[in-house]
Amino acid sequence: MKVFKITPAELDAMIQEWSKAHPVYAPALAKQPAASPDCAPGWSRVDGNAPLTLPVGPPPASVKTFFFPQPETLLTYTLENNHPDKGLMREPAKSQGIQVVVGVRPCDARSVLLNNLPYQEDPFFQANRQRTALIGFTCEQTRSTCFCTQMGGSPLGSEGLDLVFSRTRDGFIVEVGSAKGEALVADLDLAPADESEISALAARRQEEVKASSTELDTLKGRELGKLYDAPLWQPLGESCINCGACTFICPTCYCFDIQDEVVRGQGRRIRYWDSCMFPLYSLHTSGHNPRGQKVQRTRNRFLHKLKYFPDRFGPFSCVGCGRCVQDCPVNIDIREVMTDLLAVE
Amino acid sequence: MPTINETVSEEIRAQARKLLEEGTVAAVIGYAAGSLPMTVKPLVVRSPEDCRKLIWNTFCVLNLANYLPATLKSVEPPRGPRDPKPEGPLPKVAICATGCWSRNIVVQIQEHQVARDRVVVMGVGSRGMVSKRKVQALFDGREILAVEEGDHELVIQGADFSETINRWSVVRDNCQTCTHPDPVLVDVRIGEPVSERKNPNPFMQVDALEQKSGDERWAWFTEEFSTCIRCYACRNACPLCYCPTCFVDDAKPQWVGKSLDAVDTGLFHILRAYHCAGRCTDCGTCETVCPKGINMRMLTKKLNKDVLDLYGIEAGMQPDAPLPLTTYTMDDPQKFMVAEPSAVKEGK
Amino acid sequence: MNDQSTNWEPKIIAFLCNWCSYAGADLAGVSRFQYPSNIRIVRVPCSGRVSENMIMSALKSGADGILVSGCHPGDCHYISGNYFARRRFALLSNLLDFIGIEPGRVSFSWVSASEGEQFAEVVQSVTEKVKALGPASRLVKKIDALETALQVA
Ligand code: SF4
Ligand code: SF4
Ligand code: SF4
Ligand code: SF4
Repeated sequence: MKVFKITPAELDAMIQEWSKAHPVYAPALAKQPAASPDCAPGWSRVDGNAPLTLPVGPPPASVKTFFFPQPETLLTYTLENNHPDKGLMREPAKSQGIQVVVGVRPCDARSVLLNNLPYQEDPFFQANRQRTALIGFTCEQTRSTCFCTQMGGSPLGSEGLDLVFSRTRDGFIVEVGSAKGEALVADLDLAPADESEISALAARRQEEVKASSTELDTLKGRELGKLYDAPLWQPLGESCINCGACTFICPTCYCFDIQDEVVRGQGRRIRYWDSCMFPLYSLHTSGHNPRGQKVQRTRNRFLHKLKYFPDRFGPFSCVGCGRCVQDCPVNIDIREVMTDLLAVE
Repeated sequence: MPTINETVSEEIRAQARKLLEEGTVAAVIGYAAGSLPMTVKPLVVRSPEDCRKLIWNTFCVLNLANYLPATLKSVEPPRGPRDPKPEGPLPKVAICATGCWSRNIVVQIQEHQVARDRVVVMGVGSRGMVSKRKVQALFDGREILAVEEGDHELVIQGADFSETINRWSVVRDNCQTCTHPDPVLVDVRIGEPVSERKNPNPFMQVDALEQKSGDERWAWFTEEFSTCIRCYACRNACPLCYCPTCFVDDAKPQWVGKSLDAVDTGLFHILRAYHCAGRCTDCGTCETVCPKGINMRMLTKKLNKDVLDLYGIEAGMQPDAPLPLTTYTMDDPQKFMVAEPSAVKEGK
Repeated sequence: MNDQSTNWEPKIIAFLCNWCSYAGADLAGVSRFQYPSNIRIVRVPCSGRVSENMIMSALKSGADGILVSGCHPGDCHYISGNYFARRRFALLSNLLDFIGIEPGRVSFSWVSASEGEQFAEVVQSVTEKVKALGPASRLVKKIDALETALQVA
C-alpha cells in the first residue's frame, strides 16, 4: 500500500483538480439550495474554491444517499400509444465515470461494507459502489455519542475507504486503499510519507484496538427467544413515536420499497427508502400485519441490528456513528438498549 | 434554593405517586431524564415506585398529548375488536400538560379520541421550553457535554468551555410568541399558575413572510423544504395525527409520491399542515423533532392566523365549541371566491 | 411540452357539483352560451366532496388551472355541504397563496342550475386569468430522469 504526505493547501488543490473531472461532494455546512438532480441531501457539490471544513465526528447526512439514492430509478416506460417504445421497459442510462465523496468518516465507510453483505447481488447497489470513490478522514476528535470502538470499528479505521487522510503535525498522510484511490492520485506528484509518521499512525491504531471493547460480541451467542421476550421492549415501544428519523439518518439501515410512478403517460419504477418503524412496512395484502404493534416495530430495529444481522452475516449492523442517539426525538439511545440487552438473564 | 423546575418536578413526583397509590389513575404520562444534555425521555409510569423517575425541566419539548390515546387504551382491560365495552368506568390516566398540550387534549376530546372523564390533567404553567437547536447554534459545532439549568440562565459546558447564557434568548420561537402558557384544563395544579402573556404579535414570522412577493414566498417554500428526508417525525410527533392510514401512505389513489421529489415533499407539507387547520395549537413539537430543523410550523401558524382572523377561533380554547372546520356560519367571509356574476348584478 | 409561443391553451380542471354547477354548465351548453373549451369537467356530488387532496393532485398532474364550483350558500342539495366547503376553501386558497402559488391558479365559485350564462362568464374569467399566468410550473410533478432516459433510448 502506498502512503504519501500532503499539506492542507495541496489537499484543497487536489480536490479542486478532481472537481474538474468528476462530481465531487463534501458534507454540506449550511442548508443547500433546493434539491437538484446532482445534489445529494446533506452533501454539497464542491466547486473547488472553498477550503474543506469537516465537522467533528460523522457529518449529519451519511453516505447512504450515494448508494441508495432517494429514489433509484429501476425502469422507465411510456404509456403513450403511438410511442415506438410502447410496451418496453428500459433501464435508465447510468452516468459514466465516477463520483468522489470527500470527508467520509471511518464509521460511514464501514457502513458501506456492512450494507454490501446483503446487497452483494444487487446490481444497482453494486453499480453505485463501483462509481463512488470514498475519500476518508480519520477522526482526530470524537463526539460523546460516538461508539464505533464498541461496534468493531475505530476512529482511525481505513476499511472501505479509497483514500485515507490522517492528520500529522503539518498536514496529512494519505493511505491509498484501492485501485480507485490510486487512480485519483496517479497524476499528482505526491511525496512519500516519512517512515516515522507511518509508524506513529500504526502505533495509534494499536492503542485503539486495545481500547476497543468486544463485550457486545457475547450477544451473538445468546438465545434469541430470551432477548425477544425481554421486558425492556415495552417501555421503549411505548415512548417511540415510530417516525423514521433513526432509520433514515442511519448509514446501516437499508430497507426499501418499490413503486411505479406515472406522470402524464410516462412511467418509472422507483426504489426509495422505507423504514421498519412504519406500520405499512410489514403490512400484508391480506390486511394482516405481523408487526402491527409499535413495540414490535421498535424491537425489530434493534434486534435486526444487534442480533438478526450478526447471526446471519457476522458483524453487527451498526457502526456506532451515534446519529440516531443524537436525533431521536424521544431519546431512545441504542447504547442503553445494548446495555439492557446484555443484562437480559 | 431549588429552582422553579426542581420544585415542579418534586410536585409532579408527589402528585403522581398519590394518584397511583390512591388508585385514581392507572398510569401517569410524564418525562424522565435523558441520556444526553438537553434531552428528556417521555415516560409512562404505572407504579408508585417508578414515580421517582419523573422530572420536569426546560427541555420538555415533545407534546405528551401524543401519547394519551394509546395510553388510555393500554390501561383498559384487554378485549377483542367485537367485544362489548366492559361495564363500569374505565381506568383513568394522568398526564402532565402545559398550555398548548392541554389545548391539544381539548382537541382530542372534541374529536372523540379521548374521554374527558378518563383524563386527569396535571397542569403545569409553561415558562417556555428551550430549543436545543438554538443553543447548539450559539456554540458553532463545539459539542455541548452538560447543561445546568437555572431559572433565568443556562450554564453550557463543553470539553474546554463553560458559558452562561440567558434562558429566554434560546426559548423556542413558538413559546416566545405563545399567549396561553397556562393549561386550559387543570385537574391537579402543579406549581404556580402562569399568567397570560401579552404578546404584541404572535404571528410576527407569518406576517413577515406575507409581506414578501409571491415569487419570494415560493423561493422560501422550495428552499425551506428542500432538505426534508420524509422521515415523518413531524407527523408522528404531532398529537393531531392519529389517522390509521395517513394520506401520504394512501396507495389508491396515491396523492403524494414517496421519494424525495421536491413536488411530492412540498405536497406532503402543504397537506399535512392543512389537515391541522383549526386544530393546531402551535405546540412546536413538529419543528422541534425534525432532524433537519425544517420550519414546517410556518405553514400551520399561517393557518392558525387565518382561522383566528376569519372565524375568531383558537384551537383548544373552548372545550364546548365545535372545531372551526366542523361548523360554519351563513355569512362566513368569501372574498376569495370568483366574483359572483349574479351578486354583482344585484349589487350585493 | 406546454409552450406559450406555440399557441398554448391551458388545461383547466373544473370540479362541479352535480346539483347546481354541473347543471349550470349543462344549461350553458343547451342555451348555446359560448365559453372557452379549456375546462375538463369532473362531476362531484357536492362542493363539500372536493378535498384538498383532489385539488393538489390536479395541480401535481399538470393542470394549469383549477375551478371548484358548487351551489350558492343556502341552496346546497345536502343543506350545508357548501358551507363547510367554503371554510375549507378559504383556508386552502390562502395557504396556496402564502407558499407562492399564483392567485388565479385555483379558483372557487358558486353557480346555480339556472345560471347558464353566469357559468359561461365564470369559465371565461377563470380561463383569462390562467392564460395570463401562463403554464403552471409550481407543484407540477416532472419525472426528469425518465424524460432523459426516453430521449437516450
Ligand atoms: S427510535 Fe426514535 S427516531 Fe426511531 S422511530 Fe422511534 S422515536 Fe423515531
Ligand atoms: S444504529 Fe444509530 S449509531 Fe448505529 S449506525 Fe445507525 S445511526 Fe449510527
Ligand atoms: S402541527 Fe406541529 S405545532 Fe401544530 S399541534 Fe401538531 S406538532 Fe404541534
Ligand atoms: S421531520 Fe423534518 S425531515 Fe422528517 S418528514 Fe418532517 S420535515 Fe421532513
